Amino acid sequence: MMNIILIVLFAYLFFSMIRVAIGPSVWDRLSGLNLVTTKIILVIVIFASINETTYLLDFAMIYALSGFIGTIFITLFLSNRNRRKLEEFKEDAETEQENE
Amino acid sequence: MLEYISFAIMGLGLIFMFFGIVGIMQPNKDFYYRLLVTCKIDTVGIITFFIGLAVRHGISFFTGKIVLILIIMLILNPLVTHMVARSAYRGGYVSKDELEKRKLR
Amino acid sequence: MNIPITEIALSLWVVCAVLIVFTKKMYRIIITFGVFSLIGALSYLFLGSPDVAMAEAAVSAFVTIFFIVCIERYYKFGMGLEDEQAEEKVKFSAKSVGRILAPTGFCVGLFWLAMQHLPMDDAVTVLRDQYLARFMYDVGGMNAVASIVLGYRVYDTLFEALLLVVSVVAVAHVSWYDKAEMIDRRHSEIKNSGVARFTMRVVCPIIIIFGAYIIANGHLTAGGGFQGGLAIATFFICRYLVYDINDLPIAKVMRMEKLVFVNITILPVLAVFTGVTYFATYILPLTSDVYLVAMNILIGFKVACGFFVLFYRFVAIERW
Repeated sequence: MMNIILIVLFAYLFFSMIRVAIGPSVWDRLSGLNLVTTKIILVIVIFASINETTYLLDFAMIYALSGFIGTIFITLFLSNRNRRKLEEFKEDAETEQENE
Repeated sequence: MLEYISFAIMGLGLIFMFFGIVGIMQPNKDFYYRLLVTCKIDTVGIITFFIGLAVRHGISFFTGKIVLILIIMLILNPLVTHMVARSAYRGGYVSKDELEKRKLR
Repeated sequence: MNIPITEIALSLWVVCAVLIVFTKKMYRIIITFGVFSLIGALSYLFLGSPDVAMAEAAVSAFVTIFFIVCIERYYKFGMGLEDEQAEEKVKFSAKSVGRILAPTGFCVGLFWLAMQHLPMDDAVTVLRDQYLARFMYDVGGMNAVASIVLGYRVYDTLFEALLLVVSVVAVAHVSWYDKAEMIDRRHSEIKNSGVARFTMRVVCPIIIIFGAYIIANGHLTAGGGFQGGLAIATFFICRYLVYDINDLPIAKVMRMEKLVFVNITILPVLAVFTGVTYFATYILPLTSDVYLVAMNILIGFKVACGFFVLFYRFVAIERW
């Protein structure tokens, strides 16, 4: 039964990776990265539950605690960079967006 | 008996996450739509899944650690979603409906 | 039913590697690299090396941040988000396919040749058996990796610590930093978000307590000084995101890191090279654990200080 759950979680992981691969915008990929992180945490927890070992849960904890900081930094730099660009090309900003 | 109850709860969590995967694989929708659908449902799925695991292991050291991880995920997962959406909004990502409204003006 | 989770994780890892090779946009590569390192840590865990998995998972956040800063520095206004979102076309010509396939085929052939002539005698495993049988008496602790790294292989640990010190000194030497030019307008945006501020304040103590737990428990379970030090350095990143950075004693922290490095070199000289731990396990069983815990705490402190200085020099107060 737990093996079936593991297989389903790996399938979800694969589909989240597809979103990371094909997402049209950068933020799509970031949300896909967030999904991948949660799925990996669930896989580790299931792995620990099968083996009945508690020290494997430390890995889930460190994934959760250090995985989010990279994503937050990427979002921060993205919005900052675009804001800098908007300050530079203030007049052309709206027309550029409409041309997309 | 507890085994089957826990498997049922975990299956419910997997079904929630399946809805999330369906939501993120929508090709014709906007980014904000996908983000709203997916990340909310993903958090709900995590909560349900961990409750099922806690039922499976009873009152033990394992359950305590799982509850700790659940609390951390419950704090951090909406934070990441919030930051992604905020960055997209501030960075000037415009959805399709908004673009059409602007064109009409 | 026994499913091959290791093979699944390794194949996903290969898929991520191919994706990284075939994309050209920088932000895509970084985000895919995050997935790559996470799945790599997962497969390390399945293959039976938990310490490496924990180090990889803790390092991946720092790697992402440093990559992003490098890209922001080198492509200042050249590559905008429009360029990032533009479609790219991958051309499969005979030359490009050959360029990828030739090294791969060479590596596979070399691996096959090595597998043909691998000595499968007992001579390979004698040292392993000796280590596994005697590490508790020679060095102590329950984690064989920690006792090998801190006992039999102290020279390697000392050299790695020296490398970190050298890199910190190099970054501090190269970066141009004046107190007058310290303008920090990059993380001012996250301050406006109340959700992020509140959540960071809740998460910060959890991170530092967890890092202390990893360091103090390093001789019993997976983990150790390096991983715990990285977790504590993550705490400083959260602090950077929320609070001001004007009152940080960076020079003092650099000096403290060098002092701790001196302590790290002195402690094995006193304990291991003179054979104190070897004799102490027969007299007092707890003494060798004291040595391991002290080394873990010192290494964790040093790694936290080193990554603190690296992060704040490289990311926060650098002009770019």
